[in-house]
Amino acid sequence: MKLPIAAGLATAAVSLTLYPLFNGGSWFWTSMGAILVVTGASAATIRLRAPLWAGPPIMFLSLALYLTLAFAYNLAWLWIIPTKSSVYMIGMLVTAGFEDIQQFAAPVPASEGVTLLTAGGVGLIAVLVDLFAVRLRQAALAGLPLLALFCVPVEVMPDPIGWPAFVLGAFGYVGLLVADGRERLGQWGRAVLVRRSRASHARTTPDTGRLALSGRRIGVTAVALAIVLPALLPNLTPSPLMSFGVGNGTGPGGSSITIPDAIAELGGQLRQQENATVLTYTSSDDQPRYLRIYSLDIFDGRKWTLSKITAGEEDRVSEGPLPAPPGLAPGAAVKRAETQIAISDDIGPLRFLPLPYPATQVDADGDWRADQNSLMVYSTKDQAAGLSYHVVTGEPEPTPEQLEASVPDPQSDRYLELPPGLDPRVAAMAAQVTAGATSEYQQAMKLQEWFTRTGGFTYSLEAQGSGGRALSRFVLTDRTGYCEQFASAMAVMARMLGIPARVAIGFTGGSKVGDSWMVRTHDAHAWPELYFSGVGWLRFEPTPAGGAGQGTAQVPQYTLPVLPNASPSATPSAGASSGPDDTSGTSGPQVRNPRDFERDLGAAPQIQETGTPITVKIALGLAAALVLALIPAAVRLLVRGRRRRLVASGGIRRGVSAVQAAWTELCDLLIDYGMARNPGESPRALSRRLAERLGGDTRTGPAVIAAITTITSAEERRRYARTAYEPAPKAADLATVKKALASAVSRKRRLAAALTPPSTLMWVRALGEKALDGFDRLENIRPSLRGQRGTADGAEREDRGEVREPTLTGPRS
Amino acid sequence: MAATPDVTAAEVPLETLVDTANRIRRAIESVIEGKGDVVRLTLTVLLAEGHLLIEDVPGVGKTMLAKALARSIDCPVKRVQFTPDLLPSDVTGVSAYNQQNGEFEFKPGPVFANIVVGDEINRASPKTQSALLECMEERQVTVDGVTYGLGSPFMVIATQNPIEMEGTYALPEAQRDRFTAKIAMGYPAPAAELEMLDVHGASQPLDKLEPVATTAEVRALIQAIRAVYVSQSVKKYAIDIVTATRTSPDLALGASPRATLHMVRCARAHAALSGRDYVIPDDLRDLAVPVLAHRLLPSMEAQGQRRLPEQTIVDLVARVPVPDTK
Repeated sequence: MKLPIAAGLATAAVSLTLYPLFNGGSWFWTSMGAILVVTGASAATIRLRAPLWAGPPIMFLSLALYLTLAFAYNLAWLWIIPTKSSVYMIGMLVTAGFEDIQQFAAPVPASEGVTLLTAGGVGLIAVLVDLFAVRLRQAALAGLPLLALFCVPVEVMPDPIGWPAFVLGAFGYVGLLVADGRERLGQWGRAVLVRRSRASHARTTPDTGRLALSGRRIGVTAVALAIVLPALLPNLTPSPLMSFGVGNGTGPGGSSITIPDAIAELGGQLRQQENATVLTYTSSDDQPRYLRIYSLDIFDGRKWTLSKITAGEEDRVSEGPLPAPPGLAPGAAVKRAETQIAISDDIGPLRFLPLPYPATQVDADGDWRADQNSLMVYSTKDQAAGLSYHVVTGEPEPTPEQLEASVPDPQSDRYLELPPGLDPRVAAMAAQVTAGATSEYQQAMKLQEWFTRTGGFTYSLEAQGSGGRALSRFVLTDRTGYCEQFASAMAVMARMLGIPARVAIGFTGGSKVGDSWMVRTHDAHAWPELYFSGVGWLRFEPTPAGGAGQGTAQVPQYTLPVLPNASPSATPSAGASSGPDDTSGTSGPQVRNPRDFERDLGAAPQIQETGTPITVKIALGLAAALVLALIPAAVRLLVRGRRRRLVASGGIRRGVSAVQAAWTELCDLLIDYGMARNPGESPRALSRRLAERLGGDTRTGPAVIAAITTITSAEERRRYARTAYEPAPKAADLATVKKALASAVSRKRRLAAALTPPSTLMWVRALGEKALDGFDRLENIRPSLRGQRGTADGAEREDRGEVREPTLTGPRS
Repeated sequence: MAATPDVTAAEVPLETLVDTANRIRRAIESVIEGKGDVVRLTLTVLLAEGHLLIEDVPGVGKTMLAKALARSIDCPVKRVQFTPDLLPSDVTGVSAYNQQNGEFEFKPGPVFANIVVGDEINRASPKTQSALLECMEERQVTVDGVTYGLGSPFMVIATQNPIEMEGTYALPEAQRDRFTAKIAMGYPAPAAELEMLDVHGASQPLDKLEPVATTAEVRALIQAIRAVYVSQSVKKYAIDIVTATRTSPDLALGASPRATLHMVRCARAHAALSGRDYVIPDDLRDLAVPVLAHRLLPSMEAQGQRRLPEQTIVDLVARVPVPDTK
């Protein structure tokens, strides 16, 4: 009877992990109902001794009836018997549910269809678990359907499942295994009873409580280890970094690709504790380059997304050079650079290549294709992880004159589209900020300056969202956010001003380590790209850089403020770290961008961090572990010293007499040497046992026995006699006993007693005992069944004229 | 019989007590070979003012033990051979009409002695058994409305054959409960048996047994034992053991509160015989089986598994934690 319930509980526990997948909790109760119905059907078949094969069909049937009742009762006959129309209704709901799931990313709204699918799925899992655990008596195998259920949130959710959810699921499974073990052993007879709680129930059924207890002990330990161990070992869990680009539902060979909410992923990455290396690159001119992954060109009022990207076989990057960068005039001056990029092996699924813009040629293994408009390079078959590829870029080198001369380009009108209903105050602010600008270029410059310097913006990862209201808040009131808000706001405002704009997502140039540049998780970045005719898309950088901003962000050279009197061609150098530029032939850094200094500050600790060698870390960790491991030994030494002094003084300190101190020290010694006394052993019995064990040596034996007897009989008198007048034990007695005990055990045991004395860990054990007692008490809260049996027993006893208390045995000291 | 003389504990130091007890023990052991623990328990029960039930097969010296104890204390000893036709008045005594003075006169029965040996008690009818058992508990006999007190010390040593033997009436639980302890003699060791042949072959050693103590001395010992100290925690320990028997699934019937009383009393005697003026848990542990086992009924399950109450008690006692405070 218990097994079906345990199976149901296990399924319910694992279903709880589905919680983050849904908005709202209606699915939960419906699913619990499904489990309840399946469990009830299973229990009923067992109760009625139905044949084994009948179980699953009956459970299926009950599940079907339940789903009909829950979702189509108004169309069913007597609410539960399915009719043609109710089946049709269910079918419709299933279809709708699938559509919803296709359409939404987790967390999905718990629509009726989705709830039906969930409840049905959970119910089916419950049937499978029951089939394995109850019908086939293979409780361990029942873990497979449970695991399948558990995998759903693990697979779908980008964040790892929290450990409490894991604990819950694991305990559900352990409970099922324990119940199975109990039932199995219960058929053999009574288990050996050591800890008995109730006298009554063992009389009618074999008691397997003790067994369950050990099962729980093992289960608790295993689950605790499973949680604690990975936490203790650094870098054991593969970090879910770079998990944007997750191919939801696309296998390696799929032909379509879905893009998750890249912006949300970005925020997640920046907030991550860990700062892992994503990729490293070297470039021919040793300059940092922003590496773009996505180009988001549609703003729907809530967020930036990608328009449909298409690329045929002819667009494979292996077929030849990439399409020409849109908007770049054929004869314009470009700076050619080559970059060799190596992506780490352990990043998450990524089907887009991080590339400097604009790439003209990409040499990468695999089926990588370029999108015509955005020049994004992606694959439906291959993953970027572990890939190493070579990129040739031709960066436009616009002069301010070229930029000033930019005219609106009708081809890029779609990059001006804005959803209706945006706060008009944002547009007003854009106009106010850019007042006095005479060209799109100047407007863009003023916007960037406003964001980074004059607008009073603060960098913070706490901010959320970048659409409608969040945008207004960011631009008008809060002025707090990170690259997502900055990039989005600048792109939207640029569009408002009539400058074609889009948002790029990728990485900043990273920091220099040795000869190459290293890009880490925290370098994930979003920035706006603005379009100027004749030049094409240009990167802008509204996000503050440096320690109080995006660490390695860097403003592009062409946007640096030009001194009013300087010649238009004289642009300041990009920063202290950049060397003389070979093509621009700079005129010296008369204006040093203060943010560059900050950027260096921000980058410096990261470089330093890589300098800490892992061996040093391991050594430090080992040393710390050693110190921790020796704490019990140190505590033991202290305690022993204190007791010895107390015994030597013969007095009483803090209510503990010398006799007591000698006795507890003797007990602790016995625990350390593996001869612990059980609570049922009296001092005299202990003395007898030790005399047998240690008194064998004719030379030292009598002295040892005398010492033991002194300690034990003094304690005996202290406890039980009216007066204590026997000679109190001396410190020498303790020393004698310790020596004798030490010589009676193996060298290994002696060493263990000295280094990791078990007696100091007794309080841990006591704590555990208490916890297990708590478990026992829970175990004793048995609903009706046991209770009724107990009453029957009581009645029987009363008939014999004896009433006994079904209570616990004697108190435990 | 004479009223108990006013003897206080202070008059008998522990050393005297141990000395006297050892004298009695040696006297008995000169007759019963190689049964030191049985003799010691017998003495314990005597000093705890209890009654002893000796159960064993015929011919292992049950009666001899009872007689030897009686003989070594200089006190009246009566022996009743229980048979199926024995009547209650044969045990307690009867009022007979005296023709000379025309009055009814009480003829005391065999219970009017300090030590009464009830041989093969389970052969008598329950009616007669209960007559004896009433005297044991009340320490008095009521015949024709007149109550007669019994002597002090008063100890019944009943022997019985295991109930499986033919022609016996098993003692009901309620009556077994009145006996403080039950012991089995057991067969003697071969060496002891050989010695027995040598000794008993030449003469009857019981005849040579001289009293080594007086009833007054024994009464003083009993008084002294009442003064043995039992700490609260040890009393609680006794209750723990008894409670354990009441809740054990192996036992259908646990020990009674009277059992607790008997146990603590015996523990005092046991402690005193060991030369201690305080009781330790070990005293209770040593006595748990003889004092408790005969009062318990094994559960059906334990019977099925052939688990004797003795074994159950040993297991239970090993599990009850000893007290570590006063």
